[in-house]
Amino acid sequence: MHKELEHKFVTELENNQNIVHKVCTLYTNNRDAHNDLFQEITIQLWKAYPKFRGESKFSTWMYRVALNTAITLYRKNKRSIPTQDYESVIFKVQADEYDETEEQQLRLMYTAVRQLGDIDKALVFLYLEDKDYAEIAETLGITEVNARVKMNRIKTRLKTILNP
Amino acid sequence: MIDELELLKKDWQKKENRHPKLSYDEIYKMLWKKSSSIVKWILIISILEFALPHLLYLLPSARNSFKFYEQLGLKNLVIILTIIQYAVVLYFIFQFYRKFREISVLDNAKELMSKIIETRSTVKNYIIFSLSMILLLFLLVVVGIYLNDDIGTTYAALVEKTQKISPEKLKKVLMWSMAITGIVFTALLGGIYFLLYGRLLRKLKKNFVDLQQLDL
Repeated sequence: MHKELEHKFVTELENNQNIVHKVCTLYTNNRDAHNDLFQEITIQLWKAYPKFRGESKFSTWMYRVALNTAITLYRKNKRSIPTQDYESVIFKVQADEYDETEEQQLRLMYTAVRQLGDIDKALVFLYLEDKDYAEIAETLGITEVNARVKMNRIKTRLKTILNP
Repeated sequence: MIDELELLKKDWQKKENRHPKLSYDEIYKMLWKKSSSIVKWILIISILEFALPHLLYLLPSARNSFKFYEQLGLKNLVIILTIIQYAVVLYFIFQFYRKFREISVLDNAKELMSKIIETRSTVKNYIIFSLSMILLLFLLVVVGIYLNDDIGTTYAALVEKTQKISPEKLKKVLMWSMAITGIVFTALLGGIYFLLYGRLLRKLKKNFVDLQQLDL
């Protein structure tokens, strides 16, 4: 029975691991820390898995556990020193895919997003993942109105960064 | 000009398949690794905090302290205080256990944070209580020395060594040194404790304040 549960869990996580990688990319700035956070999220997901009753999609459920781990439970590992050379694929913007202005804009925005606080990052992340405001509010424990207001403020801030 | 965030969203979603991929075995191995979440640290440190002061009684010198209180005529008072102290400690442990079990990674971010902070503040109150008890005990000893008319008998060994000093002066010196030791000891323990916890919960508190401000 236990083996079955393990197999089911690892398979589901393997198929949905992108979600965890994205959270790790946003909340860490080097490979060691990325792996460290990935591991902690996996442990938390596994510990909570018996309580997952399939009422929601596995992926929906993962967002909450992954973000909670990144924002609240995870302690930065002291051994991991930020490395300059590490640049996740997510933040790489290549000129041949975009025109120059767009490329420049994206670069600036990714830098801005990475400098946001943990909570703002969570908001932006859920927004980028195409979650609606009801779900964003529910995940963070705030009202939908406030989630909207906050998101608009972040948008304005990004605009000022791009058009000083 | 299109919405900047929409541009970002498009780019973000286009990169969906460029993330690293871990194999089944790599993920499977992670299931058996130890967690290093702050919840776990809170549990470990709290158990230590609950246990350590009581382990001190296992030291012979601490056990002998009862004789010392007896000589000062404080025995009954200290026994009553000890009983009260244990009752309060048990209450704190019960509260801690109850709140700790409520912490769930499945709550929303705000609930999770506030439950952790609540659990933590139970331990904080316990520490404040323990430190006050330590200070009170030192205070009692100071009062005991003050009320003791026969300091020479109580501290026979000390008097022999310090024959040049008058009993009155000895009493004053003893009272002052006890009072100062008590304050320094309490301040030191408190300082270590609050530094340790300040560090552990700094990130959590900041994020909690950020979240609360969203709802203002």
